[in-house]
Amino acid sequence: MNWKFGRKLVTMGMVSLSLVGVIATSGVGLISAQEKVQIEIAWRGTGESDNIKRYLEEFKEEFEAENSDIEIVLAPITASEGDYFSKLGLMMQSSETAPDIISEDTFILNANANAGYLLNLDEYVSSWEDWGQFIENIKNGVIGEDGSVYAVPTTTDSRGIWYNKEVFASVGLPEDWQPTSWDEIYEAAEIIKEQATDVTPFAMNVARVNGEATSMQTFGMLLYGTGETLYEDEKWNVNGEGIVKSLQFIDEIMNQRQLGPSLSVALNSTYGSVIMQDQLPNGKVGMVLDGSWNIGNYTEGAVAELEDPEAVLGFALFPTDEGQEPGTVTMAGGWSWAIAQNSENHEEAWRVIQAMSTKESQARRAVLEGTLTVRNDSGEDEAYTQKPFIDSATAALENAYFRPKNDLYPNVSIAIQEAVESVATGTATPEEAAENYKRAVIEIVGEDNTY
Amino acid sequence: MAQAIKKRLSDDKKTLVFLSPTLIILLMFFIIPMVLTIYFSFTNLALTGSQAKNLEFIGFDNFTKMMRDPGLINSISKTIIFVFFSSILGQCLLGFLIAFMLKGKSALVKRVVGTSVIAAWVTPEIVVAFCWVIFLGDGGTLNLLLGKLLDISPIAFLFKYPMVSVVVANIWRGTAFSMMAFQTALDDVPVSVEEAAIIDGASRWKVTSKIIIPMVKGTFTTNLMLVTLQTLGVFTLIYTMTGGGPGNATMTLPVYMYQQAFVSYQLGYGTAISLVILFLGAICSVAYIKLLKVKI
Amino acid sequence: MKTGKVESYLHHIILGIITILFLLPLLWMVIASFDTNAIQTIKLPDSFSFENYRNVIGDSTVQRSFLIGLMMSFGQATIVVILSLLAAYPLSRYRAKVKRPFMYTILFLTSLPMTAVIVPVFQMFLVFKFIDKIWAVTLFLVGTSLPYAIWMMKNFMDSVPIELEESAWIDGASVFQGLKSVVAPLMIPGIFTVLIFTYTGSWGNFFIPYILIQSPDKMPASVTIFQFFGNYGLVDYGRLAAFSMIYSLPVVIMYALSQRYMSKGFSLGGASKG
Repeated sequence: MNWKFGRKLVTMGMVSLSLVGVIATSGVGLISAQEKVQIEIAWRGTGESDNIKRYLEEFKEEFEAENSDIEIVLAPITASEGDYFSKLGLMMQSSETAPDIISEDTFILNANANAGYLLNLDEYVSSWEDWGQFIENIKNGVIGEDGSVYAVPTTTDSRGIWYNKEVFASVGLPEDWQPTSWDEIYEAAEIIKEQATDVTPFAMNVARVNGEATSMQTFGMLLYGTGETLYEDEKWNVNGEGIVKSLQFIDEIMNQRQLGPSLSVALNSTYGSVIMQDQLPNGKVGMVLDGSWNIGNYTEGAVAELEDPEAVLGFALFPTDEGQEPGTVTMAGGWSWAIAQNSENHEEAWRVIQAMSTKESQARRAVLEGTLTVRNDSGEDEAYTQKPFIDSATAALENAYFRPKNDLYPNVSIAIQEAVESVATGTATPEEAAENYKRAVIEIVGEDNTY
Repeated sequence: MAQAIKKRLSDDKKTLVFLSPTLIILLMFFIIPMVLTIYFSFTNLALTGSQAKNLEFIGFDNFTKMMRDPGLINSISKTIIFVFFSSILGQCLLGFLIAFMLKGKSALVKRVVGTSVIAAWVTPEIVVAFCWVIFLGDGGTLNLLLGKLLDISPIAFLFKYPMVSVVVANIWRGTAFSMMAFQTALDDVPVSVEEAAIIDGASRWKVTSKIIIPMVKGTFTTNLMLVTLQTLGVFTLIYTMTGGGPGNATMTLPVYMYQQAFVSYQLGYGTAISLVILFLGAICSVAYIKLLKVKI
Repeated sequence: MKTGKVESYLHHIILGIITILFLLPLLWMVIASFDTNAIQTIKLPDSFSFENYRNVIGDSTVQRSFLIGLMMSFGQATIVVILSLLAAYPLSRYRAKVKRPFMYTILFLTSLPMTAVIVPVFQMFLVFKFIDKIWAVTLFLVGTSLPYAIWMMKNFMDSVPIELEESAWIDGASVFQGLKSVVAPLMIPGIFTVLIFTYTGSWGNFFIPYILIQSPDKMPASVTIFQFFGNYGLVDYGRLAAFSMIYSLPVVIMYALSQRYMSKGFSLGGASKG
């Protein structure tokens, strides 16, 4: 039958097409490799509103003009956070697939360093004068468990309470609101609930699907706000009262006083964008506990552009639970540039990183992305200081805490998320959730490593 | 007859020609990965962290860990619930009922009903998940209708009744397969046999239960097996709709496995969990065949 | 089958309800795709527009990924059909004791989720330098869908009477010719079922190409749409709906085209007939 033969032809045609396509594209790579060294930069792409891409495209042009022997290849990995880390983990295992420069979240840097994926940069930074300009505190995030430097910081961030000034004004709350205890947060929320009935008073990340955001922006802030830590002296906190107190705060907001968003908003994977890009600027939620980088949503050309962000929104520091010293806390994270151990171009990659870490380039990145700069001198850049909320976000960094430098942290983080979600949905009391958390962490790290 | 075929195929070369391309591809791209996966479940393979550096053979450690893991027990029970309600009770039964009711109806009716059921089947999984998330949302179609018809305030289905939601979504998605299988099986039942029974005075119920159902038993078993195995591996639908939650409410084995392997980076353990899925599939298949006493 | 009037009436009502129930969840997607201001709630758009579609179709990344996806899935489905036809034949006709355990083992293995297999496969691909090669990924997709396909094909084949082949052989045809001219044509509904089933499987497969392919410009449509659905950035629901509609189109078209051949549905119970 003709038709069956025709189909065979079509199949062969398709297979050959694919082969041709493959050969063609690999052929192109071969030619340029002979002329220039290709340095591939990988980061977590976010599709259209990708500020990092904008920054890198500018950077690439400038750099290549001054360095004719290097060609920069932009290779974003567009995926959810978890998938990004997984794919990187796989790619870094061989020189065939490893990018040269990687955007590393300080969260997973330690684990990747331990796995041998990242190049030890001790020698490079010790002979680099700029290294002294980097904020000491922040350097902490790129130092591995063995004390060596594995990446160069590029951004950092803080967390606090975003609030909508228009909503506040309508219920008589001050424009320069700065709570000094958790009770004051409750007060403000109750006032909003009473007088602005369509507005959700207070929102925070409570879902497991929001991953690290729930661990850091919510639980981390709360726990460190009670004065306790997640991990100290190489042991994990499982018995602390602060754990229960933090979960109680969540319980109060979500269940007891009903000051939070509905579950269908809170547990949805789009929680972050819905709240920060839609509800907050439009006055449908009063206060949101979230990160400083959200500035990037409201700047010129951004997805939720506001003409005068500081007129509509405010960023308050997060207080300690009873106002005790140090008064406010923040968790600090940040991203960095690392060189893959399996990259074949260590020297060239380092040159690119140096160029990306100059005072100007640093400031430019922070301005475009809405993050905080990691160099003392970049902090004085005019374009940078004029950005909305930079003052408060940077002030928050004075009492900054970092995530545990232990490569079991990702597992513990899941236990945190489960505890938070179980309380937020009312399936467990704060005490029960704390018990479950204790059990889960003991299972992960072993009882000897807890306190 | 069998001998005639035997003679034809005893020419080993011919048989080999038939099977070789398949065998090569199966070996390379299916068997070997599977074997490797099983091997990895006995190691401490991890995507990152110090374990990633030194791959160690740890024997049955992953498996003993599983026995202490309350999350795993929960996953197994959630999986069993999901598979039972959505494939056995849902797809097979519903598929049969629809096929049964369609028998003898006009071509137009068959076309319309068939198309709407099949539309659900051909829609890609991610789109299905997405449509259902919105369908069940606070402002979604379902709540809209319930509000208009029964005047009740929106129910957060995905959070109040997560298991029910994913089960229904899966039934919706897969029924077409069973329906089509049963349609043919029912069409194959000779009309003459039916008519003879009716002439003999058998009631409609008797005709159905004593004649039609036994005749489609073969289809029923095969269908049940295929659908069960498929449902065991459902991942995208559940993960997109509920992420396994809230809490652990819909954390079936595939979702749990993904969480362990790619969110906690414990690949060795994750792979071991996936073997449990395999095991369940094997049990189910054997059970069906033994219980329904059908030869394949 | 003769059914009473009342019963028939009842059937029609139930069928009607079922039809509506099945179409309901898709309703939002269809409506929202024409709405440039679509939100998560279902509502009538202020104005019907094709803007969303134009946006999505005009995007060169989308066009490219669609092409690649079509090539991959169609290539894969075709190869699977041919190979499973060939493999199902001896399994269906030839009585061998080793047949049953072989078939079962293969079938059990299919329930292993892709996410488990992917890491050893990645490492295997590294060794053989298959990474980023579309044809290798296609073959992998072939490999993983073969077992199920073989199983389905075998069942369809069981219902084709051997007598027909015998007469072809008497007429001098080889086994292969017999398969081609007698068996295959009778299995058209089955062939199309396997084709669509396999195609749908790989068309929607995100994880495998995501992990095994490096270059962003070699990613198939399944990866692109997943990125669209990702939880970053504000979701433009109208565009999302339009994208979903377009993404579902190839399968729908395939099904519509094969309707002619599938009018009888397909047979899974060959072994137990009459």
